[in-house]
Amino acid sequence: MKFKVPERLQPTIREIKFILRRIKDTPLSLFGIAIVMFFVVIAAFAPLLAPPVPGLNPYLIPSDPALGFRVEPSPPSPKHPFGTTLLQRDIYYGCIWGTRWAFQVALEVIIPIVAIGVVLGLIAGYYGGVIDEILMRFTDIILAFPGLILAMCLVTVLTQANWTTIDSVLLSIVLIGWPGYTRLIRGETLRVRNEDYIEAARASGASDLRIMFRHILPNTIYSIIIVASLDFGGIVLTTAALSFLGLGAPTGWADWGRLIYDGMSFVSGGLRWWWSWVYPGVFISLFVLGWSLLGDALRDVLDPLYRRK
Amino acid sequence: MEKAVSDEIIRVEDLYLNFYTYEGVVKALDGVSLDIKRGEILGVVGETGCGKSVTSLSILKIVVPPGKIEGGRIKFNVKGKTYNILEFNEPTMSRVRGRYISMVFQEPRAALNPVYSVGDQIGEVFYLHRKEEIIKAVIEQLKREIETAKGFRKRVSRLYLSLYEGMLKNPKSLRVRLASKVPIVRRFRNLMKKEVRKRTVELLRTLRIPDPERVVDMYPHELSGGMAQRCVIAMALVANPILLIADEPTTNLDVTVQAQILVLIRELQKKFGSTILYITHDLGVVAELCDRVAVMYAGNVVEIADVMTLFKEPLHPYTQGLLESIPRPGKPFTSIPGVVPSLINPPPGCRFNERCKYAMDICWKQKPPLVEADKEHYVACHLYSGGK
Amino acid sequence: MGLREYIIRRLILLIPVALGVIVLIFALLQVVPPTRRVFVFLSGNPRELNPEVLKSYIHMYGLDQPVWVQFAVWLNQLLHGNLGFSEITGPVLENLLRRAPATIEIVIYSAPLIILIGIWAGVNAAVKRDKPFDHVSRVLSVLGTSMPSFFFGIALSAIFIATLKWTGTGRLSPNLDSHLTTLRGLGQWHDYTNMVTIDALLNGRLDYFIDGLKHLVLPVTVLVFINTATLVRVARSSMLEALSKTYIIAARAKGLSQKEVVYKHARRNALIPVVTLAGLIVGGMMTGLVITETVFQFPGLGSWAAYAAQRFDVPVVAAYALFSAIVFVLANLIVDILYAYIDPRIRLG
Repeated sequence: MKFKVPERLQPTIREIKFILRRIKDTPLSLFGIAIVMFFVVIAAFAPLLAPPVPGLNPYLIPSDPALGFRVEPSPPSPKHPFGTTLLQRDIYYGCIWGTRWAFQVALEVIIPIVAIGVVLGLIAGYYGGVIDEILMRFTDIILAFPGLILAMCLVTVLTQANWTTIDSVLLSIVLIGWPGYTRLIRGETLRVRNEDYIEAARASGASDLRIMFRHILPNTIYSIIIVASLDFGGIVLTTAALSFLGLGAPTGWADWGRLIYDGMSFVSGGLRWWWSWVYPGVFISLFVLGWSLLGDALRDVLDPLYRRK
Repeated sequence: MEKAVSDEIIRVEDLYLNFYTYEGVVKALDGVSLDIKRGEILGVVGETGCGKSVTSLSILKIVVPPGKIEGGRIKFNVKGKTYNILEFNEPTMSRVRGRYISMVFQEPRAALNPVYSVGDQIGEVFYLHRKEEIIKAVIEQLKREIETAKGFRKRVSRLYLSLYEGMLKNPKSLRVRLASKVPIVRRFRNLMKKEVRKRTVELLRTLRIPDPERVVDMYPHELSGGMAQRCVIAMALVANPILLIADEPTTNLDVTVQAQILVLIRELQKKFGSTILYITHDLGVVAELCDRVAVMYAGNVVEIADVMTLFKEPLHPYTQGLLESIPRPGKPFTSIPGVVPSLINPPPGCRFNERCKYAMDICWKQKPPLVEADKEHYVACHLYSGGK
Repeated sequence: MGLREYIIRRLILLIPVALGVIVLIFALLQVVPPTRRVFVFLSGNPRELNPEVLKSYIHMYGLDQPVWVQFAVWLNQLLHGNLGFSEITGPVLENLLRRAPATIEIVIYSAPLIILIGIWAGVNAAVKRDKPFDHVSRVLSVLGTSMPSFFFGIALSAIFIATLKWTGTGRLSPNLDSHLTTLRGLGQWHDYTNMVTIDALLNGRLDYFIDGLKHLVLPVTVLVFINTATLVRVARSSMLEALSKTYIIAARAKGLSQKEVVYKHARRNALIPVVTLAGLIVGGMMTGLVITETVFQFPGLGSWAAYAAQRFDVPVVAAYALFSAIVFVLANLIVDILYAYIDPRIRLG
């Protein structure tokens, strides 16, 4: 099956081939991709790997009535491969569905952040002047708060206003995340704005909107991809931290951080109930590791290309 | 080139150098041979990428990985003896660089460290290569001071004198090292600093830098291109080297400034008696400044001759093409057809074969050796080597 | 532009940010209904007040008035040191001051370690590129950025506290801690700084010093491991970039040895961006403190804020957020000035 690749796409195809080859050459990046793929598969096949209880929200970890409602975790067994945690909730189930939940949260946060960042960043970078200054002050103000703390504050406040914890967590992370992307894209816009082809486009009568989206934006895509993949892990880390502090997912939810929160009570037993916090912890670490490696690999590959442009 | 002439300073013989990159092995130098005679200004001309810069870096043995020298010899004649630079170990090379052979770079402000003043950077070379001289001068000064001074000052001067004499005898002695760390005592070094500064200012004045007392404390970004380049040249001349390598020192400067620097170089050469290896792609500069010229193409030396001969009777087709492509009023624009070959996959035989209008069969099979076609006129071309 | 103008400019730019921070906190507080919001102004326990009195407070602090009036009132209270009363922990300002020394103590030990280790590791990794040292430090720094700090903390806690019983949670072992009250009563212990290790030395009690140190080891380890990771990566890439500059080759052409070139020329240039980052990391340590103090039950500002957040205690969380922002902004300012001072290109315009 041979089809003709249109002329216009030839350079893109060459570039993609070059990228793939470079990725192949660095073992660390392959490792990162493998990890990410692993998690994608788990998330996709969650219902098969850990069948949910019918009628119950699949994100709620079922308890095992056979073991009673004892507080103490039970060790790993054939029925519970990772053991159970507080109130006999199955950790394996929690980790599997936690993967799907992690992806859901990350996507629900990244998409708005990138969208806001693109729009505001382009505007700030392209038009400059007063608009830019004002937007930059806004981002400065939000960035003046070390990440987690503002999120904590937001979650506390929003729950007082009767939001659910999950919704407030999502909104909080979006609110602390958009300034980063805005600055990134603004920076890129500033860099690209003075290039000759922008002048040419303007000279041939292109409208501002067209220039921004058709000429400037494609040149910022690489940066966005790199930062977004690094952030994928970062967002999950932040939600896990919030859950660990008790501010994230509600009790019994299939959230890695929440599982560790539950497991915290058993740390005093030392390594006796290790499974209650080791498994979720390893999942989080691997997830973030995978995305970090991927982001790094992408940066190594896309950066020189990037500068060549 | 078999004659071992005693007034040669450097003789590069069959130098091979490769760059091992992602895209493949770049065969940057393909058996480069040339000689530099004492007291002359030898120009090396060629297009970007022909290997002229890399050759000079090889002479100083500061080729950066992924580059690696793969063969050849670099003979260095100094104080009546001949050495092979490529066999020198690092500590020896550190003594050679800056002292016997030094280098001036293309972009002056890039060659200077932005966080140190130019005075500091020039002074650094004094500390590296002329430290003894400085210490001796300070000792003389202290001795005079001791005779006229009284009381406390006299005692301090005596202390300083003993420290300096100790530094002269054994710079690594515990006493000297300790004294250099102790807060107030270490002020004894200020005398040395003053002496170095004095000489630096003198040197800057020699290079016709206006107001050297002020310039010496300035930072590279505060200087104009021309001034910065003079400072870099000063840095290279501190230890009065035998050979000065100038790698396109005027390429990034305005034409008027360029002219000034060229005049300066000529003057300095006469004054210091240095030999200069001048790398450039500008034939005009060559004509004005150099005694002899070597033409390089794609990692080979293709022709060596003295300036007049080269311009009047160029033998190698590439040289001829180069000279012909110099624009002149009334003459239509010509250029050498084709492009420089890839150095990862160079063509077999002579690397100029694709673009040469005289190319013969043998040019695709055998690399032409560098032969003496006329008195002191060398060419690497099968037209002159009789297909040997 | 000159150094003085630069500093003045940075200070001026600081004002809108500081103002904005305050406005933001205020805006967040507005989301909370007035009956709970009034806690930010109280000086006594709200539980002990009957609803009528509460209503009068609401009126007194203008919470039923238009927004700008409320802002003025709140700002006024803030400047008078009234940070409100938390239902759970008591007067906010008092608690802040009381718990601060514990946090400061952790920071005093962590910050220098982070900076020194980060720079040392990063520079050496760049110099010994692709050699074992480089690979090991890169692996460790990737781990440091991926592993959640609470996981690392819990693991250390499980191993060293619960299993090996080598140290414990909190600042001092329980027996020493209770004995402290006796000592104070007897006048044999004076709280000079309220920092255990320093006071122990000043009071001449080596046993308290060692015990305090043992309790600091684990939290400091977690903080250092996590924060050094980022610094190492940046230091390494900054050093690599410095090493690729022309003046490095020029320096070698002068006769400097590779070692001299690296440490005299490259490092100074490489450190310029690294120093600023180090400052930002230290300024941003407030986040890590929340988690680390919670894991090890260290009675500092971080655990106070975490505890409050869990119970949706608005005054405390707001106070902590404001405090963190101020610290961070100050750290930024200091770092900017430092940067301008070190880099002659900025200092001399």
